[in-house]
Amino acid sequence: MATEQDSSYAQGFGQVSRTAGLVFRYLLLAATMFGIVTLAVLLVYVANDAIQPLTADAGWHLTFFLTLVLPTILVGGALYRRNREALKLGGMVVGALLVSLLFSGGVAIVFVDIIPPLTGFSYAVGLAVAVAGTVLLTKYETQIPFTARVAATGLLFFLSLFGVPGYFHSIPELVQQAPVVPTDWIILTLVLGGLTALVVGQYIARVREDTKAGVAAGASALVLTALGAIVGPFVGIDANALVVVTAVSFVPTAAYAGGSVITREELKPGLVFAATVIVGALVGAVAVDALGFAGPQAWTDWQFLTSSHSGSAENAGLYPAIGGSILLMVTVAALSFPLGVGAAVYLEEYAPDNRFTRFIDVNISNLAGVPSVVYGLLGLGVFVTYLGQATGTVLIGGATLALLILPIVIISSREAIRSVPNDMRQASYGMGATRWQTVRNVVLPEAFPGILTGTILALGRAIGETAPLIMIGAPNVVFNLPTELSSKVSAMPLQVYAWSSLFASEDFYTKAVPAGVVVLLAVLLAMNSIAIVLRNKYESET
Amino acid sequence: MTGTNDPTNDEMLVETDVSDGLSAAESSVTDDAETVIESKDINVWYGDDHALTDISMEIPENSVTAMIGPSGCGKSTFLRCINRMNDLIDVARVEGDLTLRGKNVYDDDVDPVALRRRVGMVFQKPNPFPKSIYDNVVYGLKIQGIDGDYDQIVEDSLKRAALWDEVKDRLHESGLDLSGGQQQRLCIARAIATDPEVLLMDEPASALDPVATSQIEDLVEELAEDYTVVIVTHNMQQAARISDKTAVFLTGGELVEFDDTQKIFENPESQRVEDYITGKFG
Repeated sequence: MATEQDSSYAQGFGQVSRTAGLVFRYLLLAATMFGIVTLAVLLVYVANDAIQPLTADAGWHLTFFLTLVLPTILVGGALYRRNREALKLGGMVVGALLVSLLFSGGVAIVFVDIIPPLTGFSYAVGLAVAVAGTVLLTKYETQIPFTARVAATGLLFFLSLFGVPGYFHSIPELVQQAPVVPTDWIILTLVLGGLTALVVGQYIARVREDTKAGVAAGASALVLTALGAIVGPFVGIDANALVVVTAVSFVPTAAYAGGSVITREELKPGLVFAATVIVGALVGAVAVDALGFAGPQAWTDWQFLTSSHSGSAENAGLYPAIGGSILLMVTVAALSFPLGVGAAVYLEEYAPDNRFTRFIDVNISNLAGVPSVVYGLLGLGVFVTYLGQATGTVLIGGATLALLILPIVIISSREAIRSVPNDMRQASYGMGATRWQTVRNVVLPEAFPGILTGTILALGRAIGETAPLIMIGAPNVVFNLPTELSSKVSAMPLQVYAWSSLFASEDFYTKAVPAGVVVLLAVLLAMNSIAIVLRNKYESET
Repeated sequence: MTGTNDPTNDEMLVETDVSDGLSAAESSVTDDAETVIESKDINVWYGDDHALTDISMEIPENSVTAMIGPSGCGKSTFLRCINRMNDLIDVARVEGDLTLRGKNVYDDDVDPVALRRRVGMVFQKPNPFPKSIYDNVVYGLKIQGIDGDYDQIVEDSLKRAALWDEVKDRLHESGLDLSGGQQQRLCIARAIATDPEVLLMDEPASALDPVATSQIEDLVEELAEDYTVVIVTHNMQQAARISDKTAVFLTGGELVEFDDTQKIFENPESQRVEDYITGKFG
């Protein structure tokens, strides 16, 4: 009786048609898939051209399948079922290793080939002295008025870095003229290894909540880096290169893995996954070498990464362009970060809401959409024609690209600053904080990850720009690494463009261009992955 | 107790005696208490919106003064007049005199930042900084440049805020990891760490559950021994329980009645107040 009543009652509701909704939903799906699939096909096509996996022996594929792919799938599958968090950590460790290896390549270019280690060392010492002086000043003399302290700090930095010509030697000069100078690898170990040790030590000390553990970790990081230089020559790797790779890649990755396991014991199995992948790759490499299987005839190979342009596609390389892109990015970051973040903080925290600021608001949004070739024209007009700089140098290339991404940096930084809850500003003002104290202590620390993410993504746009560099007269082909801000510079996208236009031939189209594109994309992905990791960390914390 | 004097305190608000002897004599129960805050014909506009009309009242020292009234009646606005937080709103305009220990805080020579260093504030929604518990408490000390034994001040402030026992082992964990009630007590500890003269509380318990609310209420009563507490609340029972004096604001931004809490709740003079308290209106 009751059920009968229920069913008739339920029938009484009738049906509501969802046809239109379903059609809409699948149309949206189709639109999404169209874009993604097209891009994926394009990328696979380019990667296939650049790496040519099918040219490898079947034995080569089989060996790597057995040593790397199969164990990875097995271990990964087991972890996926039991401990997904640990698998995530394992993946992060492998990813961190890959990305940091890429970055160590960049660091090696900058600190071994572009800046001679001795010069770098001398300036590092100068900076260290100035920083130490500043720290002492702020720690023991709190009575000095603000302006005097700023002046003293500025003077300290200027004197220790530049000295007074003719009267007073700067610290870099003194170091460079020292009768005994350490060899390159010792310098690199001290500077890069020392920085890494500092960071690693602090990280471990925080994780373990134990200063001694931090000191021990820092010391062992330094020892490991030095060990890299000693072991390097025996296994046929340049000591300097191995020091850089150890300091920038191996030690930080190991510290990250160790630190994560210390904070969360249950993640330990994740390290098994990471070890499976790394050991599998190494074993595979040794095995194919021993068994004599030929690998793929990839165009993106060591030769391509380390040589400069050549008339024949087989011998052409991207090295000066990679170095050029790195130098450009450093210049762009140094110029656009302070300018962009400064403007964003002013517009969000200080500027009154009036017609003028609204006018600026609208124009910043418009500038973000201006085509890059227009910025190239601007750079040419302002820096070359008006200021009389030489064409195509690192400085004006970087300055032009910095102008290009400045609106994007401003917009994303403003977004990050705006997302700081107003409650926190109120709390700070309510405590009797001035505006500067509120910005400095509450707003900026909270907005910083967002600001950094936005800046990295903007740098990702700058690294792929070609048109502005062409407009400011950057040469298509550069055979040497740029070593100064006033050296002529080429960049990765410009070199690829040159290969596909000036040297257009079947060979360059099918070999050098895809290889260059793959390198450019790898660098771009590495940069973006840092932005993504930062954003995830930031989101999980709040 | 905690903290030492900030040098800026002495430069501002020099007069400490009560300028108007009459006002102290007028209040009936706390006859001997000094008037700390006195407002005379305070009017506030938000743009064209007249939020407060001719508010005049005297708030006595070391007591709890509650402000009750329906939503939008201007009680929070009045609270924010006391430490000039309304200055932060572009369209807000304040007219009239509001004196803190005899010094008009709206005089041209008063620095609102220095004023806020002497008037602590606790907000409706718990708003600890995304820093450690320890750093939250010492925030005010650091920005105000107060030297002292920070560890001791943190312990004292957290003890006074009845939070010490719950957090003493995790002072270096984030303040955001605490529960809502704990966060609000952390905000109170933060506000009293710098030893202000007046503590303003803007519906401090409205976002909390009953247990946390009663903890905050107990705390407010204890704090009134050392501080002058002005508390805005929606909750009439809360006002009746914890306050010495009660101000009833009604719609239109007027102060309808201000008297001893007992009198307001048992025998209000105004019919509108009686209607409001008995639930016929508002």
